Amino acid sequence: MKKPTIELLSPAGSFEALQAAINGGADAVYFGVEQLNMRAKSINSFMLEDIQQIAAICKANEVRTYLTLNTIMYDHDMQLLHAILKEVKKYAIDAVIASDFAVIEACNQLNIPLHISTQANISNLETVQFFARFSDVVVLARELTLKQVAHICNEIERRNIKGISGELMKVEVFVHGALCMAISGKCYLSLHAQNASANRGACTQNCRRPYTVTDTETNEKLLVDNEYIMSPKDLCMIDKLSEVVNSGVSVLKIEGRGKGPDYVYTVTQCYREALQALENSSYTAGKIEDWMKRLATVYNRGFWNGYYLGHQLGEWTAHPGSSATEKKIYVGKGSKYYPKIKVGEFAIESGSVKEGDTLMITGAAVGMAREKMVTLTVNGAQKAIAVKGDKITFPFGTKITQGDKLYKIVETANG
Amino acid sequence: MAKIIHYRSKCIGCGVCFEMYPDQWRMSKKDGKATLVNAILKKDVFVLPVTNYIQQLTQELTRACPVKIIKVL
Repeated sequence: MKKPTIELLSPAGSFEALQAAINGGADAVYFGVEQLNMRAKSINSFMLEDIQQIAAICKANEVRTYLTLNTIMYDHDMQLLHAILKEVKKYAIDAVIASDFAVIEACNQLNIPLHISTQANISNLETVQFFARFSDVVVLARELTLKQVAHICNEIERRNIKGISGELMKVEVFVHGALCMAISGKCYLSLHAQNASANRGACTQNCRRPYTVTDTETNEKLLVDNEYIMSPKDLCMIDKLSEVVNSGVSVLKIEGRGKGPDYVYTVTQCYREALQALENSSYTAGKIEDWMKRLATVYNRGFWNGYYLGHQLGEWTAHPGSSATEKKIYVGKGSKYYPKIKVGEFAIESGSVKEGDTLMITGAAVGMAREKMVTLTVNGAQKAIAVKGDKITFPFGTKITQGDKLYKIVETANG
Repeated sequence: MAKIIHYRSKCIGCGVCFEMYPDQWRMSKKDGKATLVNAILKKDVFVLPVTNYIQQLTQELTRACPVKIIKVL
């Protein structure tokens, strides 16, 4: 059997993250617009007007585009839904990711290719067969084991289950990123606590906080071995990627439309390298160790293999926020780039930078780029350190644009 | 006079304001967001002068809104 080419699908929650995904080597990106996506609360949410530019950027880079429309839909959302689908059609977005039947129906009527979201909680072959009437790709529930995933993939081929386009149904799975304590994200916790519906994209992440359990009759605090009893570690399958690929899946998805360009770039690049290593039989323990180290530098709550290997119980994080080994500190904004001598000019707005610092630059055009600063010129004179208010220039290999953000990278206590 | 302020562009269209006070709020069919009836647009935010009684009623709504974009003054 010839293995199909695996598609690497990265999140794009902003223009910066979009460019970072492209630079990192993504085959496709997924993004949401307006309030009908699971990251509606995210500050940098894309708008309807952004679809044209996103489509243009991705076409130029030969990256496929998928638009998420996977919240619960109400009657008052229908007109906006159709307005979004009109743009999807107009700018030839490659597919819509949905779980609500109104979206499924509307996409079918408009002949828009459809992927069924993980929100639909697809956990068995019969359900795949059902959705094959409407779609071409199913994102399986994140709670399945790899054995179950492999069974579904094998049976799709054996029973020749074809999607609406006439091609064999494709299976997509999550390989990296945050997991949720609720099955397929169907959680009411933040709704109960803060009236914020997770299924309308307004999750307030109550599960990520530490809790103590008290017996109200005796007022005795129950002994739990970890205060973060509802916050699972993040999924990371880079060390088991050959098993994932051998299960027969076609698309590997990275979670994180709420995450920054540094995260998207690093994770996409590591998985791209791992897929290439699998292809040319150089997927070694040493490389895995290196990828794990690089993945640990960006936002994470500690890693585990999720439910894919059939764990009886989940693994819970031991920290309130990220366990990343590095953090970024904002220092200033880009003002100019001199392409001939490859020098960038920045205004320091907070903190300081010194020679030898590792710098990261993010922006819509650059995505994410990082380099070590070798020489530093402050207000025209060579100096070892620059502080708030200074105008600095330094050699930087990647072209920057006005308004790009400059960060310095420092190791955290986790490092 | 008391006022209700609505930062409409950040609305995620959950509909809780309309559920609680259907006289005061509508769900726009056009863009799926909530609309504060009779409010005036001032610098990107919608403002509606109200009586003290309505202002007190709306206090509850400021807590209920999941994205906290309804304020009373």
